[in-house]
Amino acid sequence: MSAPIKRRRDGRFAVKLDPSIRTLLVTLSEQVTPVIAPDEPMTKRLFPPAYPGDTDEQAEAEYRHLVDTALANHHRQALAVMVKTAHADTLSEAELSSWLSAVGSLRLIIGTRLDVSEDMERPGPEDETASEYALYELLSQLQYLMIEVLAADLPDEGRPAGAL
Amino acid sequence: MTARLAGTIVSKTDVAPVEVESTDVDESEDSDRPWLVIVWNDPINLMSFVTFVFQKLFGYSKEKATSLMLDVHHKGRAVVSSGTRERSELDVYRLHEHGLWATMEQSG
Repeated sequence: MSAPIKRRRDGRFAVKLDPSIRTLLVTLSEQVTPVIAPDEPMTKRLFPPAYPGDTDEQAEAEYRHLVDTALANHHRQALAVMVKTAHADTLSEAELSSWLSAVGSLRLIIGTRLDVSEDMERPGPEDETASEYALYELLSQLQYLMIEVLAADLPDEGRPAGAL
Repeated sequence: MTARLAGTIVSKTDVAPVEVESTDVDESEDSDRPWLVIVWNDPINLMSFVTFVFQKLFGYSKEKATSLMLDVHHKGRAVVSSGTRERSELDVYRLHEHGLWATMEQSG
């Protein structure tokens, strides 16, 4: 069996996913996108504080003022790219990076809702969170596959300091 | 101070420009002490993802990125970069773009 996501010789990425998973990604993205906002409890995790607690409330307020719109746009844009290319057979590297970001946002939102913890046990089939937890695990697997293929392109030795 | 990040972020997105207030800088702030960017452990982000982000954003070797990720995982936090306030705020923003729980504080 070949890997679901792999780099082709022309630099694009072949994506072999079940159509039902692709449709699911679109549905989730379309549900989440209009809700994304720093003051919305469901998506608050996408806007972490830069200055924690009450260490510097003024600096935090300035940071929020400066970045929240850009941060929300960044998350929405990645989800929009995934919706647009959800059924494509191949993706460019930029599109796959957007998928990684979009799936990451969905994991953060669903993981926060489920209140996941590191030593959490998978809920039993009768548990009311079972299906949402299964969804979370599916997104985790998908993210893992994308990281594997994208990380393979990063040099093990790193980049020279200052290079971007 | 509101201009700290404005140039960088506005140039790559479509947000409205932020007014420059260069007179707003607090002179009493000890600017010699570097700012530290800290990434905190969270139960959602995958270990491989955190390593990937450190390599991608900071150009760290796989070894260094993995070691920082393990510090985050086992000790609860790790200092991932340090420098001027402006630079640190930009690093925090880039980490927030990737969904990592990053904060900044002045050393000392």
